[in-house]
Amino acid sequence: MYLGYSLTPFGHHPRAWEHARNVEKLGFDALLAQVTAAESAGFDFVLLADRLGLRPAETPSSVATPFEPTLLASALASKTPRIGFVAAAAMAQHEPYNLARRFASLDLIGKGRLGWLAIPSGDPARDAEYFDVVTGLWDSYEPDAFLYDKAEGRFFDPEKMHVLNHKGVHFSVRGPLNVNPSPQGRPVVAQVFDGAGAPIAGDVLFLGARSVEDLTAMTEDAVQAVAACGKKRADVRILANLVPVIGETAEAADAASAALAFVEADRAEQPLSGIRIVSTADTIAGRMTELAASLGLDGFTILPPTLDMARLFVADVAPKLARRGSVGEGETLRGRLSLPHLTHPAKEA
Amino acid sequence: MSERHMKLGAFLMAGGHHIAAWRHPDAHADAGSDIAHFIELARIAEAAKFDMIFIEDAAAIRERNADLASQAARSTAFEPLSLLAAIAVNTTHLGIVATASTTYNEPYGLARAFATLDSLSGGRAGWNLVTSASELEAKNFAASGLRPHSERYERAEEFADAALKLWDGVEDGAYLPADGAAFADRTRLHPLHHHGKHFAVDGILDSQRSPQGRPIMVQAGASDVGKELAARTADVVFAASQTIGEAQAYYADVKARLAKYGRAKTDLKVMPGISPIVGATDEEAKAKHRALQELIPDPVGVALLASYLSIQDLSSYPLDGPLPEMPPTNLIQSRQQLIVDLGKREGLSIRELARHFAGARGHWQVVGTPVQIADAMEERFAGGAADGFNVMAPLFPSGLQDFTTLVVPELRRRGLFRDDYEGRTLRQNLGVGAPASR
Ligand SMILES: Cc1cc2nc3c(=O)[nH]c(=O)nc-3n(C[C@H](O)[C@H](O)[C@H](O)COP(=O)(O)O)c2cc1C
Repeated sequence: MYLGYSLTPFGHHPRAWEHARNVEKLGFDALLAQVTAAESAGFDFVLLADRLGLRPAETPSSVATPFEPTLLASALASKTPRIGFVAAAAMAQHEPYNLARRFASLDLIGKGRLGWLAIPSGDPARDAEYFDVVTGLWDSYEPDAFLYDKAEGRFFDPEKMHVLNHKGVHFSVRGPLNVNPSPQGRPVVAQVFDGAGAPIAGDVLFLGARSVEDLTAMTEDAVQAVAACGKKRADVRILANLVPVIGETAEAADAASAALAFVEADRAEQPLSGIRIVSTADTIAGRMTELAASLGLDGFTILPPTLDMARLFVADVAPKLARRGSVGEGETLRGRLSLPHLTHPAKEA
Repeated sequence: MSERHMKLGAFLMAGGHHIAAWRHPDAHADAGSDIAHFIELARIAEAAKFDMIFIEDAAAIRERNADLASQAARSTAFEPLSLLAAIAVNTTHLGIVATASTTYNEPYGLARAFATLDSLSGGRAGWNLVTSASELEAKNFAASGLRPHSERYERAEEFADAALKLWDGVEDGAYLPADGAAFADRTRLHPLHHHGKHFAVDGILDSQRSPQGRPIMVQAGASDVGKELAARTADVVFAASQTIGEAQAYYADVKARLAKYGRAKTDLKVMPGISPIVGATDEEAKAKHRALQELIPDPVGVALLASYLSIQDLSSYPLDGPLPEMPPTNLIQSRQQLIVDLGKREGLSIRELARHFAGARGHWQVVGTPVQIADAMEERFAGGAADGFNVMAPLFPSGLQDFTTLVVPELRRRGLFRDDYEGRTLRQNLGVGAPASR
């Protein structure tokens, strides 16, 4: 089972900040402390979902970090050796060259632990072309292109550099990228699965269904969408978003859940949604294992409703899940998620 | 009034500023993609109490010809903002300045990125605003090619105004107000509603106001409109001046433009580039320089020389012969004239000229002892040519260490450079005015 941790300053509940009224929680050090705890608990990645690319018009959100997510990922990656980072960036807000370059650079800083949560623009044809450009730019150099041959004065092998020369309907991009190739071939690409027929370019799909019933249907749709775009099921990780409400006893969990009631107006503020499981740590771990097996999910992204629930999940639920043994330094995000090894197009004979 | 101190920036670049630095036996050739290397350089600069580090930017490979590009370490690099985000949280006092283009970004996204750097660093970020003059960059963004200079600057003016207003849109204490009814205090948030010729921006940034109010604005334009934009908006200007005469003229020019905007001469710091090659003795410095010069591949040096001369190609002329006559139709630019004059005066061959200019990439180079280098800097600092310098070490880390361990103590002995940081923000250390928190 694969596990992600969605990072917010106070938790995902829109009134979680009321339980931790402290500006320090908005600072880098407090966010890093959350990430370090998730890393120690063996989480595979941290999700920096932002407001899914939405920009604040009048007032900031307490469920998004007060930092631009790709730069926050860089800062966090420089302080943590193992955990992966998936950062949101909207295709409507970045030129493809700039975005490809930012993530290529992040992936060098994080030594192959970076992923991009691609936020769609609303125009599927444009987004499909965008993915082609970004992927093509990431393939600008073959993995063994860089020679660093001081004696011959040859920094890289020019035969192993590929100029993109993309001229499409929406974009015109010469290339090549001016960043060294990714340690994991390409950064991991993730998407929020919306079932609406958007192109599936991703290695990871996040499912935001709110009930088990909806999640069951959505998982089936996602599996079909993966097949429809010619991908193998085994080459994609399908993860459900999960809001854990944890108590010492089932009654305590119910009481905590009542205190964290959700009204419709709250939902508007929420960039991410997920199934809510209210119970003891043992029961939640059991339900997660069952759901993964019965629905064919690869794992979950945890949306802690509050910082207290985050701590309880890390301490009491995570250790009970059937997870891969300890992960070493130097492993890429692609490796952690057991995604297939990428072969550079020029090497596919 | 305390004595006037020099401002020092360390212009960082992979293996070094010398074009062939990566081939030097001391260089790690893959320094450009090694984050630990850059964090080490930043810490060296911070230990020496430099005001800032500076990172250049181009949103494209710099050389069209693949064979030439493959011989230059500068063909690939970290993207500057992601690089500085990592450096921000691994340093405590050092200013961090990144270059970013107003031509290939848009104001909300870039203002947001710099607000994040400013928060992550606790008020130490700066933005070197450029308008991007290269064709290769243009080709990564549009089929229509490079937009004209005047149009790029018109966009830059509107861009800078929008960014400044976005940063000023969030007051201190806007988040988690003491009275506690809501997460944010709306009376301390001032959404921008900008609808101009180039941009429409509605909204607020989602970062808290930085301890230095807003990022430091840097500029390095040489054109008239570039200098005017700097006079209106910049806290620091970088410049590339070879001679003290050029440097004095540039200094006087930009300072004279400040009054029009109600600004004092001390509100804008002029920091020209210097490429120092430091040796314990004059001989040692010259030997270090020679060792680097010999590593310049001739085709790379000659191509760079051709670009400085604004001509297509020099490769058909004998390397050991003189420069050909320049085509008379060519616009005579000051740099072209400088090269032609030097070639004639000293009887230099194409190879020698190529090495001479390629090494420091056209910047002011001083080869000598710590005393000689401090003399040259003091002359410009005291002589109305500079408020400080952007130090471009030929080789990293050793060239920067030579400067911090040999030249910085000499500058301190002369009372020209600080012993310790004045404050925690870049604005405090530069001593430029704080913008009023609204
Ligand atoms: C020290 C220094 C550093 C510069 N760094 C960059 C850079 O990183 N990227 C860039 O596009 N231009 C850079 N420039 C160029 C200028 O900022 C400016 O864009 C260029 O001179 C064109 O503007 P102008 O027409 O006003 O001179 C630099 C200039 C100097 C002097």
